[in-house]
Amino acid sequence: MAALRSSSRILSSSRAAFRPSAVFSRSMASVSETEQPRIKSFQIYRWNPDTPTEKPRLQTYSIDLNKTGPMILDALIKIKNEQDPSLTFRRSCREGICGSCAMNINGQNTLACLCRIPTESASDVKIYPLPHTYVVKDLVPDLTHFYKQYKSIQPYLQRDTPAEDGKEYRQSKADRKKLDGLYECILCACCSTSCPSYWWNSEEYLGPAILLQSYRWLVDSRDERTAERKAKLENSMSLYRCHTILNCTRACPKGLNPGKAIAEIKKQMSIGA
Amino acid sequence: MASIMRPSLLRQTALAAKPAFRNNAIKAAAFHTSTQRSAILPPGPQRIEGTVNDPAPIPIPNATQGSYHWTFERLLAAGLVPLTIAPFAAGSLNPTTDAILCSAVLLHSHIGFQSVIIDYIPTRTYPGLRKFFWWGLNLATVTVGVGLYEFETNDVGVTEAIKRLWKA
Repeated sequence: MAALRSSSRILSSSRAAFRPSAVFSRSMASVSETEQPRIKSFQIYRWNPDTPTEKPRLQTYSIDLNKTGPMILDALIKIKNEQDPSLTFRRSCREGICGSCAMNINGQNTLACLCRIPTESASDVKIYPLPHTYVVKDLVPDLTHFYKQYKSIQPYLQRDTPAEDGKEYRQSKADRKKLDGLYECILCACCSTSCPSYWWNSEEYLGPAILLQSYRWLVDSRDERTAERKAKLENSMSLYRCHTILNCTRACPKGLNPGKAIAEIKKQMSIGA
Repeated sequence: MASIMRPSLLRQTALAAKPAFRNNAIKAAAFHTSTQRSAILPPGPQRIEGTVNDPAPIPIPNATQGSYHWTFERLLAAGLVPLTIAPFAAGSLNPTTDAILCSAVLLHSHIGFQSVIIDYIPTRTYPGLRKFFWWGLNLATVTVGVGLYEFETNDVGVTEAIKRLWKA
């Protein structure tokens, strides 16, 4: 026991001996960083509903990346705090869980909180609201219709038979596994607003996000309204405006695959499985 | 409370925004001969049916426009592959396979163009234009069908024509 203790002491002392040099090198690096500011310009879409006749414009803000966090959302918050308090955007959790900060960054729909500020190129970062949405202000899109469509698929468990044990609806491990890759969706609308078919027909076509959720309830072994749910999609607009463009899968910031879910719905509807 | 407040707040902002819109509309109207909105211009302000808390309307179920249509479309598309290869692979020219190939291609392209019309000319915004294109497509399909029939009966037929062009 004593021998063990002495060896651990040796280890700790050696660690202590290494520490100062590590601290030294780190402080050197930070000193050289602070010497030259890394300025990055952000071009951000601005439109104010109080002056509706004024055209939307891109406003450029420059910030020092040394004094900013690594993500686009950090930059946006810094701009709002220090440069322009009138800049409007939605954000909440800053870690890709709430789906509030969905926007179009450098031509790609994504969550600002999960998108790194590109440091490898000196070009400006362009930030727009989600494409083909009605803009409320600046980067805030109106998602009313999106949520109404979500409501129309009845996204909750519907069944008539009570649970066998009177307590909870049980599910096999295999059945539970079918929901993986579906339940994680946070409804940020990145996929739906990247879909050209949804751009042209968003009034009637449900779009990838809602269809992914539709499939989530179609494959749920506990749900007993599968036939009714399928009947709701039996028309030319709700489901079949999907032409497998797969922008949805590319856009999803959570790495889900709405394109596959839609294909599975089509297969189920066709074969009747 | 917030949910009760919201609609009235929206209305207030809409009312506040109105004079500016009207003023602009009058200015713009001076340059136009009619007040009708052009088909090329972007759509107007958003229109929400029902209240914010109502679900979006669901169309009447119709499998012939839904899953049957999709299944038929896919089977037809998949069937075209062997139909296109068969006459050349077999090396024989059969008027029956020619007729099947022609009608399959015709139906396939008709369904394809229908899809394009549904995508780009929605009934909700351009009902007249939709009707015009829909029947225009039907007319075109019938014309092509008659043309192919004439070509098959009075001339060499599609497969033979492609063969000759290939060798020419």
